[in-house]
Amino acid sequence: MDPQLLVWIVARAMGLAAYIALCIAVLSGIALRTAVLDWLAKNRAMRALHDWTTWLWIPLGSLHVLALLLDKTAQIGLADLVLPFRVEYGSLAIGLGTLSLDLLVVITVTSWLRRRMNDELWRWIHRTSYLMFVLLFVHALLSGTDFNAPLISAVSWSAAGGIALLATSRIVLGRLPQ
Amino acid sequence: MSAWGLKLASLLTTVFVLAGSYGYALTHVKNAAAPLQPPVADKPAATAAPAATSTPLPSLVGIRRGNPPRSTAAPAPLLNLTPGVQATALPAITFTHVS
Repeated sequence: MDPQLLVWIVARAMGLAAYIALCIAVLSGIALRTAVLDWLAKNRAMRALHDWTTWLWIPLGSLHVLALLLDKTAQIGLADLVLPFRVEYGSLAIGLGTLSLDLLVVITVTSWLRRRMNDELWRWIHRTSYLMFVLLFVHALLSGTDFNAPLISAVSWSAAGGIALLATSRIVLGRLPQ
Repeated sequence: MSAWGLKLASLLTTVFVLAGSYGYALTHVKNAAAPLQPPVADKPAATAAPAATSTPLPSLVGIRRGNPPRSTAAPAPLLNLTPGVQATALPAITFTHVS
């Protein structure tokens, strides 16, 4: 197989898999703060899942980014991974991906440094996960090559819908009584 | 559900999506309806029509056996060598009649 074709296919597959892994991470994170999913597992198990998903989306997301860097057609440089809206085509769609990546790095690093941080500051930084997911979803919607495929679209929208529902219940109802 | 059960379920879900999306991308390499189309696809090919060259037409006089070559006072006419396929302003063909 042509190496350029391979990196293009890998970029697409890894992007979608990383999106699903991040959906599970966000879903399990919100589940820690609501009682909506208490029927599924206890908070300790949900917390273990939330921590574990980091090791799912980091390699998948890294491979997505690496494949796009190697893809000559994508024309994405190292600076585009940090600075948004620099790519000449699809500036908004790709820029939102860059912004969500930046936020994701900050959220992950601060989570690793949580014990050395002010708890309130960490909490506010961690709440930007909601914004990060919205940016990621719009990035996937605007730039996802396979997002218009019925099955992939159904899976992606369902995952985002589940998170939206759970986040709404968390914001509106707070932590439901157990 | 236990922590291990949740972890296994999340791993299987991700692997399933990864395998499915890889298979889909492999069978649908090009998507004309993709929202992002890098500009390279719109540009004409870099190795487009080479510049036309003019080559002197060789004199045919004197090639035949028995005719000695004669010098010609007038310069040989020029032959324009251009690619066989030419761009046209005609509208694209959208229908071909089949009887």
